[in-house]
Amino acid sequence: MSASREPRNTGFYLYFIAGTLASILFLLPLIWAVLRSFMPENLVTQAPTGSDFSHPTTANYSGLIKTNDILHYALNSLLVAVGTALLTAVVATMAGYGFARFRFRGSGVVFALVLATLMVPFQALLTPLFLEMHSLGLTNNLVGLALFYTTFNLPFGVFVMRNTFLQIPWELSEAAAVDGASTVRTVVYVLRPLVIPGVATTVLYAFLFSWTEFVGALTFLTTNSLYTLPLALLNMEYGSVGQVNFGYLEAGAVIAMVPCVLLYIGLQRFYIRGLASGVVKG
Amino acid sequence: MILVSPAFALVAVFVLFPLGFAIYISLTDWPLIGPYHLIGGRNYSELIHDPAFIHSVLFTLLYTAIVTGPIFVVGYAMAVLVRANRRGSVFFRTAFFLPFIVGLATESFMLLLELQPDSGAADYVLGKLGLAHANTAWTVHYGLALTAICVFVIWFASGLTMMILMAGMQGIPTELYEAANVDGATWWQKELRITFPLLRRNIALSLIISVIGSFLAFNQFYILTEGGPGTSTQPVVMWIYEEAFVQYHLGYATAGAIALVVVVGIISAAQFYLLRDNK
Repeated sequence: MSASREPRNTGFYLYFIAGTLASILFLLPLIWAVLRSFMPENLVTQAPTGSDFSHPTTANYSGLIKTNDILHYALNSLLVAVGTALLTAVVATMAGYGFARFRFRGSGVVFALVLATLMVPFQALLTPLFLEMHSLGLTNNLVGLALFYTTFNLPFGVFVMRNTFLQIPWELSEAAAVDGASTVRTVVYVLRPLVIPGVATTVLYAFLFSWTEFVGALTFLTTNSLYTLPLALLNMEYGSVGQVNFGYLEAGAVIAMVPCVLLYIGLQRFYIRGLASGVVKG
Repeated sequence: MILVSPAFALVAVFVLFPLGFAIYISLTDWPLIGPYHLIGGRNYSELIHDPAFIHSVLFTLLYTAIVTGPIFVVGYAMAVLVRANRRGSVFFRTAFFLPFIVGLATESFMLLLELQPDSGAADYVLGKLGLAHANTAWTVHYGLALTAICVFVIWFASGLTMMILMAGMQGIPTELYEAANVDGATWWQKELRITFPLLRRNIALSLIISVIGSFLAFNQFYILTEGGPGTSTQPVVMWIYEEAFVQYHLGYATAGAIALVVVVGIISAAQFYLLRDNK
């Protein structure tokens, strides 16, 4: 036994060193961006030196809020992402329940059609979508954008929710009903703990998708005041007169990054659950 | 049935109708404003002789060919590293996966600064190592821009491959490895004879997701190079976007888009075929 313990320890140190080095490689660019965003603007556009971080300043952030109204664009992004997440959750839960509990004429076809959306890249449907949404008044419209995002989150959401409802032992709710529990009590105490993880997974994916989506927003939003964060950043890159203010751009990118990081770290068990149930077995 | 109708309505409005409509548009000379005419297959016959479109297709294929292998190898190596629940493994997994979570658009804006001549970290680090001039302008040279974007995307996407492969590795029964240990199998033999064959589905899935992602590349090129210099780094999706919403050739752009739908559809269908339950 002791002979096999020794190499295992060396193996552990190798694993730990490799993991640490790789973590630095993957995290440093993101941490570096955060540090850069607290540098004065004149230092951002110079070659990095060791003393750059001796005078941290929030000037980029305050300037960005004052001159570029970044909080307005962040609010647009938040509205679209929260709207998409809630709508996807409601529609996917209803459909997931319907597909799991009932067989009706054509249910197989409808389920296949919803899943087939996975095979259609929305990037290739920009022209018909633009013309259609334009005639419906859904371009330059945050609700329209949220509806578009919801649709392309549905295959995953419906799949996850259907699996969630398929795994529920329905005898449990019947037993609760026999014991005299009301429908509301049954849902709250018996079904909720079983359904919530599925809903959380659906919400998380839909939120992250719409928060980071770029080409759809670029196509369907042309009014400056409706821009989501990535478009506001693009506007700072190409739309500005003269030099790009890289300090502001970096601060704006950090503002766009932070919610993703916090949400993922807080809810990663739901994210990984989605990968395991939705994508891998899909 | 009522429960399913909102989902079906959304799919009908935002997927099924646009798909049919796209085929129709592709057979017209649809401009942004004004009347259009049915012109049959002329868009398609022009498309296959259009050097700009062909270049964007070839460029997308080249880009896909460059990044797919490294994303898989790096992702596989990281999956091997963190698949067991050991001290630090949860942190490592999170670290490797975070670039994917933050998203290409946001990170492209961050990278834009670091690729600037004189002020960017890329020139600084490579300059210190003696590998580049301190004033190399990465985004305005075809080769340099493509190199930078490929390295960037490998960094961005390998975390997803790692997650997909790791999920499969953790599903392999440990008894198989224990039996192999009893037989005195080496680490390589176990990887080659047990892990790799049992991981086929996850390997196929990760490769397909990665290839489709590369075919649909847009953000990183639009933000970092705007397709330049010239249109040398213009992938297919950007060709469609520019042709439709900058040149206003909606019919012609849609014909190119149909080609993309067909290619991605075939790959996706192959995915469903490969991953179907053969039990």
